[in-house]
Amino acid sequence: MTFPSATLLAQSALSGLFIGALYGLLGLGVSLSWGLLHVINLAHFGFAFLAAYLCYQLAGTGHVDPLLTLALIVPTFFALGVLVQWLLGRFRVTPLNSLLATFGLTAIIEAFIQWIWTADFRRLESSYAGEKIRVGALFVPVPELVTLVLALALSFMVYAVLRHTDWGKALRALAEDAPIASAFGVNAKASALLLSGVCAALAGVAGVCLAIGFTLTPAQMYAWVGVVFAAVMLGGLGSAIGPLVAGIVIGVSEALTAAVASPSWSPIVSFTLLILLLLLRPGKA
Amino acid sequence: MPWLGLPPFYASFLYLVLHWVVLATSWNLLCGYSGYFSFGHGAFFGAGVYTTATLAGTWDVPFLWTLPAAAAVAALLGVALGAVVFRVRRVRGELFALLTLAVTFVLATVIANTPIDGGPGVYLSAVPLPTLAPDPAGTFYLLALALATLTIALAYAIRRARLGLALFAIHDDEDAAEVMGVPTYRCKLAAFALSCGLAGAAGGVQALFVSYVTTGSVFNITVPLTVVLMSVLGGTRHWAGPALGALVITVLLYAFTAADQAIVGKAAVGAVLLAAILFVPDGLLGRLRPRKRPVAEVTADIVAVPHALPAGAPLLRVTGLRKSFRGVRALDGLDLVVHQGEILGIVGPNGSGKSTLINVVSGHYRADAGSIQFAGRELAHLPAHRIARGGIARTYQIPRPFAHLSVLDNVALTARFGEARLSREVAEAQGLRWLQFTGLAARAHVLPGELNLHQTKFLELARALASRPRLVLLDEVLSGLAPAEIDEAIALIRRIRDQGTTIILVEHLMRVMTTLPDRIVVIDQGRVLAQGSAREVMARGDVVTAYLGAAHA
Amino acid sequence: MLELSDVRVDYGAAAALSHITLVIGAGELVCVVGPNGAGKTTLINAIAGLHRVKSGRMTLDGRDIARLPPHRYCSAGIALVPEGRRLFGTMTVRENLELGAFGRQARAARARSLAQVCTMFPAVGERLDRIAGTLSGGQQQMVAIGRALMACPRLLLLDEPSLGLAPVIVGDLFRAIRSIHAAGTAVLLVEQNVTMALDLATRAYVLDEGRIVTSGAPDVIAADPALRRAYLGVAAE
Repeated sequence: MTFPSATLLAQSALSGLFIGALYGLLGLGVSLSWGLLHVINLAHFGFAFLAAYLCYQLAGTGHVDPLLTLALIVPTFFALGVLVQWLLGRFRVTPLNSLLATFGLTAIIEAFIQWIWTADFRRLESSYAGEKIRVGALFVPVPELVTLVLALALSFMVYAVLRHTDWGKALRALAEDAPIASAFGVNAKASALLLSGVCAALAGVAGVCLAIGFTLTPAQMYAWVGVVFAAVMLGGLGSAIGPLVAGIVIGVSEALTAAVASPSWSPIVSFTLLILLLLLRPGKA
Repeated sequence: MPWLGLPPFYASFLYLVLHWVVLATSWNLLCGYSGYFSFGHGAFFGAGVYTTATLAGTWDVPFLWTLPAAAAVAALLGVALGAVVFRVRRVRGELFALLTLAVTFVLATVIANTPIDGGPGVYLSAVPLPTLAPDPAGTFYLLALALATLTIALAYAIRRARLGLALFAIHDDEDAAEVMGVPTYRCKLAAFALSCGLAGAAGGVQALFVSYVTTGSVFNITVPLTVVLMSVLGGTRHWAGPALGALVITVLLYAFTAADQAIVGKAAVGAVLLAAILFVPDGLLGRLRPRKRPVAEVTADIVAVPHALPAGAPLLRVTGLRKSFRGVRALDGLDLVVHQGEILGIVGPNGSGKSTLINVVSGHYRADAGSIQFAGRELAHLPAHRIARGGIARTYQIPRPFAHLSVLDNVALTARFGEARLSREVAEAQGLRWLQFTGLAARAHVLPGELNLHQTKFLELARALASRPRLVLLDEVLSGLAPAEIDEAIALIRRIRDQGTTIILVEHLMRVMTTLPDRIVVIDQGRVLAQGSAREVMARGDVVTAYLGAAHA
Repeated sequence: MLELSDVRVDYGAAAALSHITLVIGAGELVCVVGPNGAGKTTLINAIAGLHRVKSGRMTLDGRDIARLPPHRYCSAGIALVPEGRRLFGTMTVRENLELGAFGRQARAARARSLAQVCTMFPAVGERLDRIAGTLSGGQQQMVAIGRALMACPRLLLLDEPSLGLAPVIVGDLFRAIRSIHAAGTAVLLVEQNVTMALDLATRAYVLDEGRIVTSGAPDVIAADPALRRAYLGVAAE
């Protein structure tokens, strides 16, 4: 077996970077939800795919630029996120049970998607679906580049909010010691609803990225669960930049493993890292 | 075996139901009973599938022989994983779920990339099927029936046995269970091994049923999530819960698929899970409590404390005990001797180290340095359940009863896992005796949540005493009680001493500490400050300063 | 200003506090002393809104605050310095202080409040960008007090501020509390260290087993045998 050329390795690493960015973007919402709200939200993947299909529908039949669909998708999913958190809060669902309850919700969403769009493969033919930019010897596909840009922008935005705004600091305080945060005026319930809405909106954005870069089929949503959770845990719960960095690390190592060894070995990277992390690192991620 | 003579279609359907009954019930053995939710059941199922596929498909081993092998491989895998993971204290709850999910994908990748599968999958259509029934569907039905019967029988047996009690205690409060004498590591490992082995066997049968296996079809997320769904729906605490859940979901899914509404079926299942978590988190059978047996006549006598030393001999000797938490020295070279048959009172200002002392002696925490000699044995580095077996029991300042076990089961647990290792009947009889001693006999079959604070404290007391400990550590057992209840408790504590148990009593209530204990020890800043009778000690200048500050001395 | 009238607070099923009647006037420094397990922390937590009042009346300037949601106590003018400090350990000292001024009115005065806190506690001012969890016990306590002051409270609640601290630091702390009081803020101080507490207070209550056993001027309380009996179980010789 010949060792791949430098160009091939670089191209692999680059595609790993892009897919890693999407892992990070998906992971951002999961990480915020788990770290700050103590809700393990499997429905995040359902929402992302639902948003992807919505984007496909609007951009495809409406001939609208896919990125413009964000104007509708972001507020819609924000509202959905608020609704889900309201339900979970009302029934005082524990973190483990939230995993199960959101799994049920995901199954419902999957069925809904399949009912409307069938299980056939759907590919959004957008203006930049096939476009590539050439950088030296490497090709940079435009949809993936859009994803990377969005992932970077949103991760840093969330980081800025958490670190520099009053509300962001209030959220971090709530996650650490909710009763004392309340004692200083932070409204725990309202904050939770708001944050859940934001996480769902982030899922919506990830969905649009999925739509422009991938072929869609409903059962695919589960394929992302394992890898994204690995990125979330590696990056640290409640972190804004963590999932992105971890996602990219995972994406690049998977891609390089695929290039050097064989594509079928690549899943082992993220999951082995996850297992080792769980066993060896003190405290929760 | 019941051979119904059904047409192949029904036999196949029944096979499917029984197949899921096995998977869900086996999952529940560890995960439902003990609360260690695994998302990796698919890994062990898959291990069984591929063991049979390799042995029967590649090496021509007769099919029926591959089934025990499939079970063994899966069980070994489970034991290997559990041996590592159960040692890591913080991997519980959601983290355990994620870790087991990750294991599934790692195993799938390994299998897909090695000659076991290698990618294209394994064909098993050429493997001869034993003719246990006139047609293949019937054979599979009978195999699944046998496996399902075995699995359910095991689930029932475990539920009634010491292991089941241990798992339920672990579910409610693993650390308290360990301190009460339950060997938590071994119990979890045993349940996990059984759980995985049964899943492996089910996998072995399934391999031939589908006759063509690929890693994608075997190791996907369906199996782990479905078994969780079925068990949660049916009720994870009941031995028949997962079976009921499996039946309901399989029938439901089938009904929708047959009516050409598979998609709606999927949505319906999701809705059912969501509704179950929100409205019936205990599951359909979760509300079922075992029939309230009439409270039996208390016939047992109190078993004597084993190996009692002569009165006054040193029973517990603590030397140079040290324990720090994140830089704070809770115990700073503490020396103490407790004599057989005495009631020793321990007092001290807030933060002086009293509770830490109890926690270290009972094994809840490991000491950083120092020695704890109990009746000649060194305890300082033993796991908590061995300390409990050695004859030390404790109560908790904020009561920690096992919330889902009845009052009687709470007490019988320590009797079953204590030094004497009593059988179920004897342990329950002893338990009743101790409930009578503490005045709770009439509440034997209620859940601890239905007791008030006073009764809960007495439950803690009965639970501590049921293992016939030589030494019992009472951590603020009187706090929160009304004056009349306190007098009752004091009388009880005296009777406990009269029965042969030595007592260490940590308390703040000074009016009790001046009358009840034989001797008082004052602890301040992790060390013994003074010892003697209450009157002498509490009048000493340094003790007064420790409590009230300098000006009052 | 603050009035509790026949208040009962439960801990689970049992009554942690019963028949509590106490008053704090504007500008007073009231201390509550008592042995462990007496219910001092429960009392302060109830006043701060962390713990539900089961029955009885609790009013601030005549306004019933017993049924307010937890996050409204701060804007009503009550700020808490909890037992054990309970800082947001992963956040910086500055962020902890800023969170104290989360309420709208306090936020407007934030810069000025921060300057005042740094003047009162220079050690805090020097460590604004350190992670709160890395500070020593005494420094953390100052941050906790500073955080409460940032809320511009009319009533400051202090729960065992001297716990686990060296006597020298305790001296500094109590000096700071005295100056806070002198500036006009009402203070409720719950303390184990009876001497220093009675030294500061304008009025004192003694709490034992969930009830108030005696109350009055500090020097009267100090000589009261009930105090010694509550703590030590034996009357003074």
